[in-house]
Amino acid sequence: MVSTFKNLFTYRELILVLAWKNIAVRYKQAYMGLAWAVMKPLMLMLIFTLVKSFVGIDSGDIPYPVLVFAALMPWIFFQESASEGVNSVVAHTALIKKIYFPREIFPLVAMTTKLLELGISFIILAGLMAWYGMMPSLSILWLPVIIAYTMLAALTISLFGSAVNVYYRDMGQALPVVLSLFMYASPVIYPLTLVKQKLLIEQAAGDWSNTLYTIYMLNPLAGIIDAFQGALFRAESPDINTLLPGMIAILILLPLSYLYFKRAETYFADVI
Amino acid sequence: MAVIEVKKLTKEYQLGALTTIKDNAMNTIRRLQGKPTLKRKRFKALDDVSFSIEKGEVIGIIGTNGAGKSTLLKHLAKITTPTSGCISVSGTVAPLIEVGAGFVPDLTGRENIYLNCSIMGLSRKETKTKIDEIIEFSELKEFIDTPIKRYSSGMSVRLGFAVATSIDADILIVDEVLAVGDLAFQRKCFDRMETLIKRQGKTVLLVSHNIRQVSRLCTRVILLDSGRVVADGPPKTVCDMFYERSDRKIKTNSEATSLKIGVESTNELDLMDIYLSDINGHRISAVEYQSDVKVCIKLKINNHLNHVTFGVGVHTTDFLYLATHNSEEDCAIEDLNQGQYLIKCNLYSFPFLPGVYSLRLGVTAGLSLRKVYYGEGLYNFHVVAGAKTGVSSSTREGFIGLNAKWQEPTTISL
Repeated sequence: MVSTFKNLFTYRELILVLAWKNIAVRYKQAYMGLAWAVMKPLMLMLIFTLVKSFVGIDSGDIPYPVLVFAALMPWIFFQESASEGVNSVVAHTALIKKIYFPREIFPLVAMTTKLLELGISFIILAGLMAWYGMMPSLSILWLPVIIAYTMLAALTISLFGSAVNVYYRDMGQALPVVLSLFMYASPVIYPLTLVKQKLLIEQAAGDWSNTLYTIYMLNPLAGIIDAFQGALFRAESPDINTLLPGMIAILILLPLSYLYFKRAETYFADVI
Repeated sequence: MAVIEVKKLTKEYQLGALTTIKDNAMNTIRRLQGKPTLKRKRFKALDDVSFSIEKGEVIGIIGTNGAGKSTLLKHLAKITTPTSGCISVSGTVAPLIEVGAGFVPDLTGRENIYLNCSIMGLSRKETKTKIDEIIEFSELKEFIDTPIKRYSSGMSVRLGFAVATSIDADILIVDEVLAVGDLAFQRKCFDRMETLIKRQGKTVLLVSHNIRQVSRLCTRVILLDSGRVVADGPPKTVCDMFYERSDRKIKTNSEATSLKIGVESTNELDLMDIYLSDINGHRISAVEYQSDVKVCIKLKINNHLNHVTFGVGVHTTDFLYLATHNSEEDCAIEDLNQGQYLIKCNLYSFPFLPGVYSLRLGVTAGLSLRKVYYGEGLYNFHVVAGAKTGVSSSTREGFIGLNAKWQEPTTISL
């Protein structure tokens, strides 16, 4: 594990250069350039705000557009890091067949690319918060930690997924679809407080309520999104109880995912 | 000290399409039941290959298509792992495997240089110090800020070569990349490779089908065939062996297909046989250097021909035409009626140095020199050093021995 990090440090420059290449290629011949990066969260925010006006989702004292945008930021970062990560190895067939460097660089590059887009979203978020006259507190210093944790969650999926995708391309097709459905199982369109309200206080599912809540929280993104919003709007430090189930899941799955990747890696050039 | 050590390296690939999920599931069930699983046929790309390379050696790897050359390089570059056996490489390896792998069409030349350099393991700082030299070598100064997708193919290959050869590494791996660009640039590439190899004392592995290039650049050549090392030794010996083997293959191929490659004929005549004989008319397959031989041509004329001229020539197995001789001045053949003929041409003091050569034949008819028959690679033969006309070490290289004599140095007064 130590050698892995050492390796990654050696290759940090390559990761940055490849990420820059991804961004340059994507936006080079586009007039609007990087502005496209924030189109997705912006459009989704508008749609969700519209939907909310019909169905009524209680967002407490935080304006719904800001709340949903703050949920979309980590969610989209996670979703796209994972789904692009899964396709990243196959997308670099030419390199894999010609030159050796640790293959986990490819999922990492996909994630680094998305990190930049996340950074741009922060500008929009700042604009939104200014518009609604909201002041961030010092607890936003937690955001880098939360984002780093989100990266681990994304890597859990993209390492395993990208290795499987080399053998069965179904993975690359299926994962984006599954993930976009998964959004509804994460507190994006609705805040986590609503889930807590329904399951823990109202016990809406009867005896199963507490179990169901734990299962819900096994999704690391549930904790992440809530912590993200908490750090931004409620001046809260991340709540370890909310994050714990997801953390345990990642702590178990990430090493497995990485081991699988490393085992499959040696045959990438032969199979791809 | 050996920088590369390969021991009993074997690589197997599975033939056929990828197994489906269904097959995998069936195999799992079979395994659980204790039955043998369905296996795809396996193919040995490399079979028990062993060799070691010392620092500073320049190794050529030659062989026919599919002999396992590129697979071997892939193992040395750590791109793939062996099925069995082991490889140890000490020192950094820079792969030149296919110039321009990793070029992105949308990026400009300059951006691609940075990208490609960092893929090859150069830091940004190092690239900065080299970029001017790279641009200058590629002769693309004007176009360096234009996206690569607007380049001609020659331009991007030039850029690729310039980048690839600017990498500093202990071991260079070169797979068939020297033949890029126009003649002048090829010359430049070749010189650059030679500088890298000879002056900087790097260890180089060179895979090429251009045997002449290999025998010029390398200090040692390994011949692979169907994944096995067939020969490993000095360039001249191994390359000659390779020529022989390819000749045999070409011969059997052309016999098998009956349709001769490189033969054009109007069917007015059939070539029945062409061979070399000694002065007594006995057929020979090896010619002694500087001995007298005859080219014998047996023909069947199907239609009457007039004003016939024959031309025989000698060429190398890679079709470098060395010499030809026409019959028109020696004998004017006015008419050739239907029938079978034997035509002989005497070659005195056969001038070509030991090696493998081949014969070509052309026949024209009429005053307009209409081509009736033309064929090359018709008869392969060896030239060997003769008993009395041994080849001295001073004329070992090239194709012909010069009739020359050095004189003692004399002083010149200015």
